[in-house]
Amino acid sequence: MDSNFPWLTVIILFPIIAALFIPLIPDKDGRTVRWYSLIVGLIDFSLIIYTFGSFYDFNNPDLQLVESYSWVSQIDLRWSVGVDGLSMPLVLLTGFITTLAVLASWPVTFKPKLFYFLLLAMYGAQIAVFTVQDLLLFFLVWELELIPVYLLLSIWGGKKRLYAATKFILYTAGGSLFILVAALAMAFYGDTVTFDMRALANKDYADNFELLLYGAFLIAYAVKLPIFPLHTWLPDAHGEATAPVHMLLAGILLKMGGYALVRMNAGMLPDAHAVFAPILVILGVVNIVYAALTSFAQRNLKRKIAYSSISHMGFVLIGLGSFTELGLSGAVLQMVSHGLIGASLFFLVGATYDRTHTLMLDEMGGVGQKMRKIFAMFTACSMASLALPGMSGFVAELMVFVGFTTSDAYDTNFKIVIVFLMAVGVILTPIYLLSMLREIFYGGENKELVAHEALIDAEPREVFIIACLLVPIIGIGLYPKLLTGIYDSTTTQLTARLRNAVPSLTEPAIALDIPANLQPSLQKMAGIPAPTLLD
Amino acid sequence: MEPLYQYVWLIPVLPLVAAMIVGMGLISVNQYTNSLRRVNSVFIISCLGMAMGYAFALLWSQIHGHDAVTYTLEWAAAGDFRLMMGYTIDHLTSLMLVIVTTVALLVMIYTDGYMAHDPSYVRFYAYLSLFSFSMLGLVMSPNIVQIYIFWELVGVCSYLLIGFWYDRKPAADACQKAFVVNRVGDFGLLLGILGLYWTTQSFDFEIMGHRLVDLVGSGEVSGWLAALFAILVFLGPVAKSAQFPLHVWLPDAMEGPTPISALIHAATMVAAGVFLIARMYPVFAPIPTVMNVIAWTGAFTAFLGASIAITQNDIKKGLAYSTISQLGYMVMAMGIGAYSAGLFHLMTHAYFKAMMFLGSGSVIHGMEHVVGHNPVLAQDMRLMGGLRKHMPITASTFFIGTLAICGIPPFAGFWSKDEILGLAFAANPALWVIGWMTAGITAFYMFRMYFSTFEGDFRGNDGNIKQQLLAAVGMTNPTPNFGPGAMNVKELESEDHGDHHHAEFPHESPLTMTLPLMILAVPSALVGLVGMPFNNYFAEFIYPAGEIVEHHEEFNLQEFLIMGGNSVGIALIGITLASLFYLSRKIDAGAIANQIKPLYNFSLNKWYFDDIYQSVFVIGLRRIARQVMEVDYRVVDGLVNLTGFFTLLSGETLKYFESGRVQFYALIIFGAVLGLVVVSGIS
Repeated sequence: MDSNFPWLTVIILFPIIAALFIPLIPDKDGRTVRWYSLIVGLIDFSLIIYTFGSFYDFNNPDLQLVESYSWVSQIDLRWSVGVDGLSMPLVLLTGFITTLAVLASWPVTFKPKLFYFLLLAMYGAQIAVFTVQDLLLFFLVWELELIPVYLLLSIWGGKKRLYAATKFILYTAGGSLFILVAALAMAFYGDTVTFDMRALANKDYADNFELLLYGAFLIAYAVKLPIFPLHTWLPDAHGEATAPVHMLLAGILLKMGGYALVRMNAGMLPDAHAVFAPILVILGVVNIVYAALTSFAQRNLKRKIAYSSISHMGFVLIGLGSFTELGLSGAVLQMVSHGLIGASLFFLVGATYDRTHTLMLDEMGGVGQKMRKIFAMFTACSMASLALPGMSGFVAELMVFVGFTTSDAYDTNFKIVIVFLMAVGVILTPIYLLSMLREIFYGGENKELVAHEALIDAEPREVFIIACLLVPIIGIGLYPKLLTGIYDSTTTQLTARLRNAVPSLTEPAIALDIPANLQPSLQKMAGIPAPTLLD
Repeated sequence: MEPLYQYVWLIPVLPLVAAMIVGMGLISVNQYTNSLRRVNSVFIISCLGMAMGYAFALLWSQIHGHDAVTYTLEWAAAGDFRLMMGYTIDHLTSLMLVIVTTVALLVMIYTDGYMAHDPSYVRFYAYLSLFSFSMLGLVMSPNIVQIYIFWELVGVCSYLLIGFWYDRKPAADACQKAFVVNRVGDFGLLLGILGLYWTTQSFDFEIMGHRLVDLVGSGEVSGWLAALFAILVFLGPVAKSAQFPLHVWLPDAMEGPTPISALIHAATMVAAGVFLIARMYPVFAPIPTVMNVIAWTGAFTAFLGASIAITQNDIKKGLAYSTISQLGYMVMAMGIGAYSAGLFHLMTHAYFKAMMFLGSGSVIHGMEHVVGHNPVLAQDMRLMGGLRKHMPITASTFFIGTLAICGIPPFAGFWSKDEILGLAFAANPALWVIGWMTAGITAFYMFRMYFSTFEGDFRGNDGNIKQQLLAAVGMTNPTPNFGPGAMNVKELESEDHGDHHHAEFPHESPLTMTLPLMILAVPSALVGLVGMPFNNYFAEFIYPAGEIVEHHEEFNLQEFLIMGGNSVGIALIGITLASLFYLSRKIDAGAIANQIKPLYNFSLNKWYFDDIYQSVFVIGLRRIARQVMEVDYRVVDGLVNLTGFFTLLSGETLKYFESGRVQFYALIIFGAVLGLVVVSGIS
């Protein structure tokens, strides 16, 4: 085996092809199919790890493992895939979360074959979104991945599932038309017609045209991320989805918006990014505060967590708009981190719903005594979500905070206002998350609920899933270089490119020096004036 | 690096590992782990015991003049940004390590007796161990970001432990309140850290201070901006050390089990704020505005706490307000530049207040045998009295603590408080007056507490008082069917059927509880002797970074006698008044309270802080959130649905103008959907 083998293509196609065999498996109640899907998921995840472990060079900021084959030559559509520091963490995340989602869908008994078929199809399509390097192909896989989500929502969802699914497809398909328009416009601009992203990035667009392109992409990805005011599909979709779909929606689909913003808006249109960045930052801070407030007022558990996702995505926007390596690195870290935390929270919401059969906080309360393990896991994941140090969310938010504060691209007053409002979000997050915990678990035993529902505690499978998610959350939190180290070279390169586009930024980012062996001996510090008594 | 300093990381890691092992056991094999009660607690206690031994070795080495040691490794990096984590061992850290480990160890031993019948005994130990890790990590932090990290972690441990009895509604409310109020402080701390980093490019205390002085001196950073950042950082200690206006969480935090109140909410975590001020001295000290703000905040808080403590009837609430008041002294000391005096008071207070809280726990434990497991009854001093006869060890240790906090020589509190007051007089006589008056009030309320708990006749079997207390709770608590209210009903029923299982008088607590009390009584009485003004070993050991050692200033006996005499004098007046009110009952406290009804209510209702915060912040925030949600639902969603519709229409139309080949892709998608429908038909 060598690096010329088409690893990425295999990783993308393997789950899709494996899914095609599902109808042939003789199985009525889904017991065989779920094991089959789990094994396929695990094999693909191992392939991802093997490929990156063996053939990916972490110090190389450029695209690696590139494959390019002509597909439809008439329109110059090429099957072209590759990964760099932006894609790689998200591909890993996809493999990880999707495999866990298969495990999370163990109790699905309604049309299990179709369900697992769709999950596996999504597996491949999601990875394709993060790896393809041809803009037209990107549009296709972006659309392709919507179909399984639409079906998963509309067949297995809650009571209002059709409304939610339709809203989802209208929003996202409506948004993706902008991708198509922008892609075509970019391809036909200038002398050469090409859809290759690297070639498109090097084209020199006219200023106003570039702004238009940027705006079109921004609308499409704002729907996906989501960004205020295009976020309202998300609470509906999340409110109706089942737990595994939820994990995919929060864990991966939202990240597609963030990924595409970094890859296309920032990576391909840096001049327009210089103009739009303040807008991104403002939208980001609106996301943080606005969604946190809405989440606080929500009485429906799923919608509450859905709004908390929106709030957390604001940090991605601010990091992206900061023009610092630290901020951008924090934005990527926040995507991965929220992928893990969001997936775990939504899984736990699902597990709680399986027992209480209600999502309304007013009808819950006092279930902590019966469901101690779920209580403990819910607390741990909420702490991760409110950015407790020692967990990944804290590192990501801190990096965005410091990155934006030290940014030299904005004037001081603007920074003060933005940082202040971000910090308000830091107060609001524990308010809604801890009240949620209090209203679900704390208090005396809920007699009404106990009488109707069997509130059994978590089973080992559920504990295992949460444990799997908490390991990377805590691992990154304890030693963030584990993750930042694998993409640092790419974000550094991208930041340099972004900064070049801003006329006022000619100097490199601020260098920080904390002497490694600082010996705070008193003789050395004698220069500091001694504190004196106030008279 | 020598071996002693090479393995310092073991100190926090030992309790962490213990907590993790026990925690894993609790999650994976819950029942089995829970059945091994003593095995778990002995394991956790011995891990902390090793950490304590190590801490003593470090203190010994530091006392003998070892240089400060800092070790860091790169923790996070992006581009040129490097964030280091590691540990620093200097005089202050080694002292804090010893304080934290000793108090934590004794509290853990005590817990064995106090929580003996609690089904979550093991979980409690796991939390205690986790807290010890966080607190030890905090005091070892070499830079402010690491302090912030552990700062949050101790906050979470506090949250978990306050809400330990999560089926009680007051505990559920209190833990959330504690966390959120602390987050408000952290909000300031975070902004302050960011601001200081932005101006000085550093997270290191000395470098920050150094560069800030230079930058302000050269005019690159305006003075008010530097002061603003420093005050923002100070907001962190304001919340953590329960200073005005963020003190409201600490009294409510008493809903947690009493060992927690002793360890976290009296001795260690709440003192972290004072510790942070000490660490930030290089930044704070050169800015007079900041030092003034700190000093006045502390002085006001000292008075505020004492004025509320004077009317509290819940023994733990009374001690909590006394803690707030004493923390105010420490913060005031830091603000007037009395660095070593403030930390000296931190140390003495840690020991005597931990002892008193544990003593109150012992009292509650005893009372529960008489009145049942109901905090409303078991913690109310109106039902106590005369306990000295039944609980002699608890009473005598509590008495030592009371003398210590009142500042009666030679007990620990006298030396530390007197040093603060002496320096306050030199700094600003107004501050001294506040501190001096507060000392008098302190003596009064502490002896009020001591007399009504341990002297006189036992009132625990007085049915009338019980009914009154329960009725008062029933009136103020609108949902008695939840939490403790539900328990009340049970208790009332058992009351009606005659006390079968309840004893008539409380008994002395078991040895595991009284032993820590007796051990803590030793430092409470004697630890002050290391900081006597004429022989101040403490100040020679603990001094602000950068101050050149010249502590051999002449001891002025006359001045010491005047200052000391003043503070002892007012304490004696307070004690005399308290004994007239509550011991000999020559003066009727109720009648006086009636005469100054507004003032009495003002104090009893805690200056109405809780009510104001409730109506302004809690209800206000709920209303805003509610309105935002309405806007989201009606305006944003409605509008976007509309535009989404038009977008789609125009998009559909546009498609045909852009390229004739798009139908091709539509065809692919259509085919895929068709295929899926076929597949779903098969299964």
